[in-house]
Amino acid sequence: MYASRVACGNTVVEGTVMYAVIHIPNFAAQVAAKQRPELRKSAFVLVEGEPPAEVVITANKAARSSGVEAGMTGLQAATIPGVIIMRRAPEDEASALKVLHTIACMFSPRMEYVEHPPGTYALDIDGMGRLFGDETQLAEELRQRMTEAGFLANAAVAQNFDAAVCLAQGKTGVSVVPPGCEAEALRDLPLHVLNPSAEHTEMFCSWGVRTCGQLATLSETDLISRIGQAGKRLHLLARGAWPHLMFPLEPSFEESLRERMELDFPVEMLEPLLFLLARMTDTLLERVRARALAIAILRVVLHLDGGKQHEQLVRPALPLGDKATLLKLLQLDLETHPPNAAILRLELHAHSAAPYRIQHGLFLPQAPEPGRLEVLLARLRKLLGEERVGSVELKDDHRPNAFRMVAFAPPPPKKSEPSSLSVATALRVCRPPQTVGVTLVGNVPVRVLWEGQRYTVREIAGPWHVSGQWWSEANWCREEWDVRL
Amino acid sequence: MPAALTLKIKQPPELFSTGVDDMDMMLGGGIPRGSISEIAGALSTGKTTFALSTIAAITQSGAACAWVDVNDALSPESAAAANIVLKRLLWLRMSAERRQRGTDKPWSRLEQALRATDLLLQAGGFAAIVLDMSDVLPQHAMRIPLSTWYRYRLAAEQARTALLLLTQTPCANSCAALALRCEPADVRLFSRDGETALFEGQRYALVRERNRNEGSPFQQKKPCTRAEWPAETLWSRAR
Repeated sequence: MYASRVACGNTVVEGTVMYAVIHIPNFAAQVAAKQRPELRKSAFVLVEGEPPAEVVITANKAARSSGVEAGMTGLQAATIPGVIIMRRAPEDEASALKVLHTIACMFSPRMEYVEHPPGTYALDIDGMGRLFGDETQLAEELRQRMTEAGFLANAAVAQNFDAAVCLAQGKTGVSVVPPGCEAEALRDLPLHVLNPSAEHTEMFCSWGVRTCGQLATLSETDLISRIGQAGKRLHLLARGAWPHLMFPLEPSFEESLRERMELDFPVEMLEPLLFLLARMTDTLLERVRARALAIAILRVVLHLDGGKQHEQLVRPALPLGDKATLLKLLQLDLETHPPNAAILRLELHAHSAAPYRIQHGLFLPQAPEPGRLEVLLARLRKLLGEERVGSVELKDDHRPNAFRMVAFAPPPPKKSEPSSLSVATALRVCRPPQTVGVTLVGNVPVRVLWEGQRYTVREIAGPWHVSGQWWSEANWCREEWDVRL
Repeated sequence: MPAALTLKIKQPPELFSTGVDDMDMMLGGGIPRGSISEIAGALSTGKTTFALSTIAAITQSGAACAWVDVNDALSPESAAAANIVLKRLLWLRMSAERRQRGTDKPWSRLEQALRATDLLLQAGGFAAIVLDMSDVLPQHAMRIPLSTWYRYRLAAEQARTALLLLTQTPCANSCAALALRCEPADVRLFSRDGETALFEGQRYALVRERNRNEGSPFQQKKPCTRAEWPAETLWSRAR
């Protein structure tokens, strides 16, 4: 194992944030070789894309020495004797990354996945000295664990995040850089560790700049005047001084919005349950409020006696942060859809969203307040039924009852132009259709019996023949009459 | 002078236009906000047409309204034809299908409607609420206790909501600030040859029986108490 501490006047200062970076060189090829160990001794390449336009993504050392390069077509690689061509397996790489993630979790709770180069994790090792010893011991232990998992890895420790990434990428084994010595440590590394663009790589090559040290010696102002702001970034990276704010991986916030409770004995009444739900809603609200959010969806899962589950979803029209309103909505929903057995366990899941903020105007028309409207609609749904409360939406259809009920959500108050059309006669609909008794004299209606009342026909027009079968013109099977009673 | 004995200056109420100029003129501007308006009349005398026209004018002004439908008889097509902004209309349909089971009495639907109206008035925020009892028989409507109408009057005043009652016979009595009676005015005869469309040339009449917000009784020019207005169907519009 190669371990080096760069000679420098400074020593590691206690209390400074140090980053340990673990990098698996040629990650895709190592994953492929781990899946098929027989490939380790032979030259192979990984290709990607639709055949026959496949492109070589990476190759192992033996294949590279045979002349294969990344970017060649699959057909070109196939012409080189002794090279095995394999398709890249993203699912294998994803499972390998999970292994890396698990190992990294053993060394630090704060880590960041570095997307370029692939197979790289950066760990904040501040305060880990008591568990793993000094930085060198930690890096060696980290590398050892990677080797045991089947990966050949490089580890680097530095105070600068990007300097550690570059070192792990460019130096084999373990490298530890004391604070302030990043430029010294990066001096001999090739330029590709800085990940410059193809255009800049070509430009630096024409200038004769091949290492980070050579780039760092150039004047920053002159470099920026020639290649723009990208020059400043590359110059700072080469000196190990590029500032980086760490974004540690964190468990999903949404997954933390769950509350569970086991009951000591089965509960059949909803009232005692509401005390527990109130406490759980309060806890969830505290969590979302800590992030200046509100609750958009509440899902109650009741585990019932007999192994069944009862699930209810409360979805206010706008995200709410008010406990009383949410609890009332939960209560009304559970009362409308009560569970059919005793409750053994309950779970409350929440989904967060940005809280609503509305600027009301002094002279705007009256509109229901959103929080109160939600509770009102829930109460009305409980009273009348789910499908009997809401706004109506017409369908593009000529059949009777061509409409559907949608949730009532009035748009923001806005005046629309009044219509200049005359008043339309309103018709009323009998739902469900009612039976009407008709007395015919000479095949003409003369009296109508409806709801126990007898009406005499005062005026009549018709009959209008209506076809029940539009495909058969001869079959006019219905006679309709217009009558005034 | 003690404050209790001081005369309160009565502010003229805010009015909602009915969408018909003749009616607005007869009512002095429209139906009053924050009180009960009762529109009574037999079947097919234009009560629903009048209410839809009023609701259309209110929803077009940007406010939200509610329609408490005791008999689930509202035709959405008619509402759309009256130019109501449907997204601003909350439609509450009482359970009409329960009637088939024989267990549901008209009274229970009426009870549901009264409770729903109570909830709407308490929640506030609605500019107008229509309690459509047009198909409720007078003997059932008269059984509603007067205390309900008193409660509604106070709630409507606090919520600044215009409560429109559509009934066959007046039942809110003195609680209604405005009482109107609907009558059929002019009916064009059907033609046997189909030349005259059904319901073409329909005219309705509205008689003002009481208006508590009327101006001074000594004013010179008194508004008329009866107004006639035409209404037409979609198919006659198309002609």
